[in-house]
Amino acid sequence: MKVPLHVAKEQEVKAAGFKPTPETEIKEKFLAKLDDVRSSMRSIMVMLETCTKCGNCAQQCHSYLGTNDYNNFPAARAELMRRVYKRYFTTAGKLLGRFYGAEEFDSELISKWMTYFYQCNECRRCAQFCPFGIDTAEVTIAARHIMSELGIMPKFMAGIAVNMEKSGNNMGIPKPAIVDCAEFMEDEMRDETGLDIKIPIDKPNSDVLYVPSSADFFTNVDTMIGAAKMFHHLGVNWTISSKILEAANFGLLFNMNVMREHNQRLKEAAREVGASLVVQGECGHGWRAARMYTEGASGPVPFKIMHVLEYAAENLSKLPLRKLPLRVTLHDPCNYARAGGVIEQPRQIIRACVEEFVEMTPNREENFCCGGGSGILMDEMMEIRMQLGKKKAEQVKALGSLDYFAVPCSICKAQLPHVMKHYGMGSLSMGGVMDLVGKAMVFDK
Amino acid sequence: MNYIEVNGVKIELDEDGFIVEPDLWSEDLVKAFAKTEGVEELTEDHWKVINYLRDYFKQFGIAPMIRKLCKDTGFSLKEIYDLFPSGPAKGACKLAGLPKPTGCV
Repeated sequence: MKVPLHVAKEQEVKAAGFKPTPETEIKEKFLAKLDDVRSSMRSIMVMLETCTKCGNCAQQCHSYLGTNDYNNFPAARAELMRRVYKRYFTTAGKLLGRFYGAEEFDSELISKWMTYFYQCNECRRCAQFCPFGIDTAEVTIAARHIMSELGIMPKFMAGIAVNMEKSGNNMGIPKPAIVDCAEFMEDEMRDETGLDIKIPIDKPNSDVLYVPSSADFFTNVDTMIGAAKMFHHLGVNWTISSKILEAANFGLLFNMNVMREHNQRLKEAAREVGASLVVQGECGHGWRAARMYTEGASGPVPFKIMHVLEYAAENLSKLPLRKLPLRVTLHDPCNYARAGGVIEQPRQIIRACVEEFVEMTPNREENFCCGGGSGILMDEMMEIRMQLGKKKAEQVKALGSLDYFAVPCSICKAQLPHVMKHYGMGSLSMGGVMDLVGKAMVFDK
Repeated sequence: MNYIEVNGVKIELDEDGFIVEPDLWSEDLVKAFAKTEGVEELTEDHWKVINYLRDYFKQFGIAPMIRKLCKDTGFSLKEIYDLFPSGPAKGACKLAGLPKPTGCV
């Protein structure tokens, strides 16, 4: 079976800090890692034991609906782990084998796992509709973790791990370039407002550490500018950190240990600048990792963590906003709506920034994923990515003419322009919610 | 392994078609890449973008922000796409011999 993504080669695996597993030891190590997951993550056990194959999840999964591939039906995807779990860790499975739905480990299994656990966007919509609350995203997270522990991962993930280790951000932007980008954005803001709005870097004794996405320093400039203008107007003593110019935490998407290292990095960066509040920028899964696992997986932290949209919504009445003459809709990033409690805040902000806000259907915690979620942004998967984005395209198309499509997550911002173009909506302008805040703010010169 | 042939010499490419060894970049390589990236004829404007990218990379070790690229070269984003149909990150950077920008892009 040909895996539809570039798998990291030995050298790339090592560069990312992992140890490749020799072919002869794969099975033994795989079963040991599955045993680790089974014994340390009770939720996974419950999910593997509970499914009745009622089929409810099939019609709720954009991956299955877009690809029509049986293995992308959430219950079938989880079966890829469940069958081998039954064979090696249940008495009935050991005795009855295939008659109990158990399956031997073979070399094809890893290819199947790489193929299908990297066509799950970890969006958790199946969990929303499952009568038992089975969350296939958790199974996917566990499966990707097991594979990366064996040294098997997409080249894309390995490359990001290398950049993160080297530079503190996914893109690999070194500090001199961060300074150059920040100066460029300061110039842009000066040209526009006549004001000296700063983007402070590594400033000691700051109250707030702002953690943007590194893509805000490449493509999504207006998201960073929106946040900088807001902090400036509110008189906040804030900074960004060159140690962690990255709200994304790809560890959550392929290896739990890498996720914890990232959480530790956040703790250290906040301590270095003395921040009592960490504000996370527009990044979906990164918000989940920061909000849910900075303390959960890495112990107590001496600061509060907020999302930039929570922060902006809380301070909305203090911002000098003038409504822009736009018709706008919002895409709910999965990890805000189903994993992080950022649901009403973007709506409050958009309503304050534009003349007309329209909801797509379904929305909030029932929203469909953009199709890039969980880091499925590989170029070589473009055709599959377009299938994964089909439901989203249908949702947007149903709204008729729009001026702006608000997508407050960097993965969504990378994925959706391709999806919109593919489905005939290439001229639709899109970007973050903080972009709108920045544009709607009116400063006295 | 992927290769592109330039003046009879095979130059190694990664899976995404970017050169593996930055020192093997040459103007002739750009001409060879142009065909695969939908650039019909290399003009002065193409070279302006390519040289800007190379200079920035030499100084900072990374590709510039797209908006900075536009401002400093005087081309709008649309004009950049007209010049490099596969875009500034994946097209122009490839021709300029830069590594492929990665992350949420």
